Amino acid sequence: MIHFEQHTLANGLKIYVHRDVSTPIAVVNTLYKVGARDENPNRTGFAHLFEHFMFEGSVNIPEFDTPLQTAGGENNAFTSNDITNYYDIIPANNLETAFWLESDRMLSLNFDEESLNTQKKVVMEEFKEHYINQPYGDVWHKMSALAYKTHPYQWPTIGKELSHVENVTMQEFKDFFFHYYRPNNAVMVVGGNVDPDKVFKLAEKWYGGIERGKSEVVRNLPKEPTQTAARVQETHADVPVNAIYKAYKMCEKASPEYQASDLLRDLLSTGDSSRLYQELVKEKKIFSSITAYTTETIDEGLFFVEGKLNEGIAMQAADKAIQDVLKEVVNTKINEQEFIKVKNKMESYLVFSEINVLNRAMNIAFYDMLGDVNGVNQELEKYRAVTTEKLQETAAGIFDENKCSTLHYYAKPATK
Amino acid sequence: MDRTIAPAIDKIESVTLPQVLKFTLDNGLNVHAINAGEQDVVKIEFVFKAGKWYENKNLVADLAGRMLREGTRTKTAKEVADFFDFYGSNFGTSSGNEVASVSLTCLTKYLEVQLPLLFEIFTDAVMPESELKTVITNRKQKLSVNLQKNDFLCNRYFVQALWGPQHPYGRVTEAADLDAVNVSYLLGFYKEYYNASNCFVLLSGKFSEGLLIALNNIFGVKEFAGNKSSTDIKHAVIQSPSLIQHFERENSVQSALQVGTHTMDKTDLLFPKLTVLNTIFGGYFGSRLMSNIREEKGYTYGIYSSLATYPHGTFIDIGSEVGKEVREATLQEIKNEVDLLRTELIDEEELQTVKNYMSGKVLRSVDGPMRYADTVKGLLLYNQDADYIHRLLRDIHAVTAEELNELALKYYDYDKMYKVTVG
Repeated sequence: MIHFEQHTLANGLKIYVHRDVSTPIAVVNTLYKVGARDENPNRTGFAHLFEHFMFEGSVNIPEFDTPLQTAGGENNAFTSNDITNYYDIIPANNLETAFWLESDRMLSLNFDEESLNTQKKVVMEEFKEHYINQPYGDVWHKMSALAYKTHPYQWPTIGKELSHVENVTMQEFKDFFFHYYRPNNAVMVVGGNVDPDKVFKLAEKWYGGIERGKSEVVRNLPKEPTQTAARVQETHADVPVNAIYKAYKMCEKASPEYQASDLLRDLLSTGDSSRLYQELVKEKKIFSSITAYTTETIDEGLFFVEGKLNEGIAMQAADKAIQDVLKEVVNTKINEQEFIKVKNKMESYLVFSEINVLNRAMNIAFYDMLGDVNGVNQELEKYRAVTTEKLQETAAGIFDENKCSTLHYYAKPATK
Repeated sequence: MDRTIAPAIDKIESVTLPQVLKFTLDNGLNVHAINAGEQDVVKIEFVFKAGKWYENKNLVADLAGRMLREGTRTKTAKEVADFFDFYGSNFGTSSGNEVASVSLTCLTKYLEVQLPLLFEIFTDAVMPESELKTVITNRKQKLSVNLQKNDFLCNRYFVQALWGPQHPYGRVTEAADLDAVNVSYLLGFYKEYYNASNCFVLLSGKFSEGLLIALNNIFGVKEFAGNKSSTDIKHAVIQSPSLIQHFERENSVQSALQVGTHTMDKTDLLFPKLTVLNTIFGGYFGSRLMSNIREEKGYTYGIYSSLATYPHGTFIDIGSEVGKEVREATLQEIKNEVDLLRTELIDEEELQTVKNYMSGKVLRSVDGPMRYADTVKGLLLYNQDADYIHRLLRDIHAVTAEELNELALKYYDYDKMYKVTVG
């Protein structure tokens, strides 16, 4: 059970405090409700580039990192399709340093041209390091574009192409900041060895004077039409091994179907005893590695299965072998022992995810953003309520080739 | 309110360490227990001196560790996996340059029931030929993918240059070496090295005293005792005569680089102060390398310098992946930064920032029983005890710019470093 207290400032900033006196540290997690899905299709990668810029100095403080490090802290941030999340970990006695820094960069940035140009270069090197100069590095681009035809999940957070990031202007940055990086579009969670009353006072002191956004953030994202036919794409690249990527449409994170979908992922791919590994790596030796995962997105997400083929195995046969394992889940009753195993795995996962105070803080922010913060304490119950029938029904809904996007990734020279 | 003025800060000059209870099982096996935390979870980790250092044939240590997952006298590989997964546990095996580790992380209520299988794995693993074949095939595939990554290749060339291709720290994986391993080598190694005389145990999380009795009953027996003597094996270091090595790869848009050389051991009394110097140089986000090469020049997504410590040797390891066209410019900047450490005293403000940053890091390294257990493990490998953490903190606060300059003159000399680039 994660306890918290909550207070909302007049400017709309929501603040949660999660107290844990067993640790000497404090964490400050700030979630801004903006991600790659909010980008202009000609400026993909924008939200992530902006995240870099948030460390380049704010209106009153020339640099973000140094003062935090001087207070014994460390920090980082990430951008996803849905959100941009910043966190600071700091000795609890020095909590106010984080308030000072985080509030100033919510107030306004220094919008320095030179910093923008440097961060463009840094992000372009990040793009090269992870997506170009890397075997199979282009998979995420290809799969996003194959699975989503209208919804902005069709591009990855790094952006569609290098030129999009290169062309960003300072005015675009300013407009973006004053629209999305406003207190009424953020959730802040302070966790660790802190006194809630003091935290709320600090929040008023540092954030109370920040103006809310001139207009509320309203989203009219294009809805992805229901996929009705299988999509299969082939690609050839200078990689040593053939690989296969399959993405089935699945529900969004807040859906009541989500827990069953997630348990399916466990059944198929968590641990050495999971079905894909046992059947396709160990028994049939079709793949050298195989894994399944879900995207946990606010809008309709994807259930991924990806694997690397063993030598001498035909692509079509490998694809069919995956489908057979998935169909078996749909068609054959899941035995009780295996079902209990999957639920035990989940219970364990949930308990372990709560060890770290930063994780707890991030979870609170994430569930608030999803719409119901109490969801943070209801997961175990929801997973426990899933029955084997429900699991199979959900599998039947997801594992439909007509709702699947498949990438056959061939090592050059083409071996079919 | 003046937002340009930072709030006052407290320095961290001491930390409160969780208690580590050491007890010895009937067969001499030492267990270090940290009973703390809020959640009902526990981790037990067996650390064996059974890494690469001790193998007679390449990859035997690595694969012996890996094959512990592949079945015992009474259970097949699948049954072992089913058993641990049923309790939602994470059964971890890993093997590195010095030690191999086997761990079980789980809900406390399920630990005891799983211990007998862990014992069976330590005393009665079977390592079937067919399972080994699958493991080797999969490893070869993974290797073929890794061999296309510049950073992976760069690290191989770098450690070979530093230690020599026959030294355990410099010996890399080749497909032919994978093929040359067989079950009898693995079982021979396993029987010699996986026993109590060659092991220590870390137990962390929230548990009852009864667990310690169960541990003694199961792992304290003669059958698991073994008789590994403490005399150490020696390996000769044969450094490459070529300090500068470049390996061109067509179609690369970036180059990977690694720069560095041997340095003092972790047990050296000056080592804590050396870590301060290295942190300033390239050990945190605000470091000189990051500020110059990422934040000012935008040559890279990241650049670091770390002190890679092992019980039989330590080296400075500077690494990055940079735009191919700025490879030489990056090396020049690294040289400039090394030279600066030697020629100019670090100013007080920068030094104070790093001292505070590092003390915060020490504080985080002892936060929570499992995190702390990892820290303690890092000490035990060097026969250090928890007192080292207090000394580290004292040294961080005490070190002066003059001392750091002396260390730089002695240990950071760009001309004597290896410079390996790929791409």
